[in-house]
Amino acid sequence: MVDPLIATIMIIAGGVLVGVCVHFIPASATGAMAAATGIATGPSMLSAGAGLTGIYAAAYSIDSGLALVIVSGAVGSALMLLITILCGNIMLAFGIGAPPVSGQTASGKSTFGGTKDIITGFEQEGYASPGTDGHGMPFQTAVSGGFGALMGGAGGALVFYAVYSMTLPAISTENVVTLAGIVAAGVFLINSVLPAYVLVGKTEGMFDMKIRSMHRTFISCLVTSSIVACVIYAVCELAVSEVIV
Amino acid sequence: MAAISLLLGTALAGFLAFLAGVFEDSESNAGSASNPNSQVQLAPQIGNRHRYFNKAISGEPPANALWATTAATIAYLLTAHFGGDAFSVLVASIIGAAASTLLLCAYGVLSHISRIASMKNFEQTLYWDSLLTPLPLDAAFGFLTALMLTLLAFSAHSLLGNPFSVPLLAFFFGITIGAIGSSTGDIYYGAERLYQHYIFGSGIPISVQGDIDVKGEYGYRNSVDTPYFTMRFGGLVTGLAFGILIFLDAWSRLFTFAGVWTSVIVVSVLVLIILIFIYLLEVYTRKRYGRYTED
Repeated sequence: MVDPLIATIMIIAGGVLVGVCVHFIPASATGAMAAATGIATGPSMLSAGAGLTGIYAAAYSIDSGLALVIVSGAVGSALMLLITILCGNIMLAFGIGAPPVSGQTASGKSTFGGTKDIITGFEQEGYASPGTDGHGMPFQTAVSGGFGALMGGAGGALVFYAVYSMTLPAISTENVVTLAGIVAAGVFLINSVLPAYVLVGKTEGMFDMKIRSMHRTFISCLVTSSIVACVIYAVCELAVSEVIV
Repeated sequence: MAAISLLLGTALAGFLAFLAGVFEDSESNAGSASNPNSQVQLAPQIGNRHRYFNKAISGEPPANALWATTAATIAYLLTAHFGGDAFSVLVASIIGAAASTLLLCAYGVLSHISRIASMKNFEQTLYWDSLLTPLPLDAAFGFLTALMLTLLAFSAHSLLGNPFSVPLLAFFFGITIGAIGSSTGDIYYGAERLYQHYIFGSGIPISVQGDIDVKGEYGYRNSVDTPYFTMRFGGLVTGLAFGILIFLDAWSRLFTFAGVWTSVIVVSVLVLIILIFIYLLEVYTRKRYGRYTED
């Protein structure tokens, strides 16, 4: 268990991690028409799906301490995201008949420059269907997504454990886990939607120039999470002191 | 006994998740929900009058979370009142899923009518057959999705021992299956089924978006035929993704060789193996399809 004030800071840190993680997860709504690189859905909702899977996985280890909860959340989230990437690429390869390719890298607009995948060294130019901005998830974006999911899952699990610690003295154990899960899911959804204003529906993860706008997400998530954390702290303190139960 | 319950729970949860994935993708495609909905919405604006069921109540994750949570909450309340043996859980889940399907039908009808009405300026007609024919099919898939997710939530809570309550688990599964369904199955509907008159082997250029197939093999294409087509590949891969996720997550908890850290170690190894598969698939597709040439 952690002190309520430290738990409040953990909620803020978790919220910021969740917001920042969305920048690393490659997603694009037009990916559903194989017209842009990234997982074929909005970055916010995809991150929410991955993060909630992380919280689900972390809940099994809630009695085993903070470190295990955070790591379980992180790897659970990464597992969900990488399975989604693999199956998305299977769909692209055998359902559409096209290879995964990074549109930003192919046009030389990637964060690190050049037209090659920075990890595998595969040339991207010429592999995108004409008239599209790439399709699927090439290896570099898959790694970026895995990294983002690790961050998001860890952030969600951090909030989950913090709320669990704060409310445990006031409520019975079986209810407090569910309550902490609801609050953590709420904090996750708030913070995963905020980056949508910076990403405007599409990102290729850390290889997209939009990663340079991450400070905006950081500040907005910091402010929002601070307000949310203060509200949670106040409600929990009132509950523990039996003013409200 | 605990080990048997865990083994049974792992197998059952994986199977239920697989079925839920197949049904969820089919429900989404029968109603043109989620991302490819933009294409159906765009079609009248470039002169393509269509007969698709255009039901996008919200993004796929929140919509599925709503159906699953509604069904699971009703089922949970019923089992709390009438007892929680396996038969009661099944009957309660069917009643819960039926109630959430009524909600889906109500939202689906209103959503379709209002979306088509908003296209009045582009001379899109509100065809009653394009609403009334696919609606029962869509509702049936919605019912099955909600039922599978409710049963999955009960399995995860009772057999796998997740400490979250059943409705919250259903909410989590609803969000996750929506995210997976719109990330995998949607590609097959959005880039292949809606654009079958374009050559296979290419993404859909942004300049032709909205130019969807309005005529099918026989007469006008409708949303009843869509799941028949997409279930053979898109639905299966969606089911595979969600089924593998739930199965592997539960499977990782069957081992105890490193104490409480066992599951984390197993999942980390699985993550690395999946990364290798992603790499191998990319190598295969690059060799198989190659570069796009001018012709």
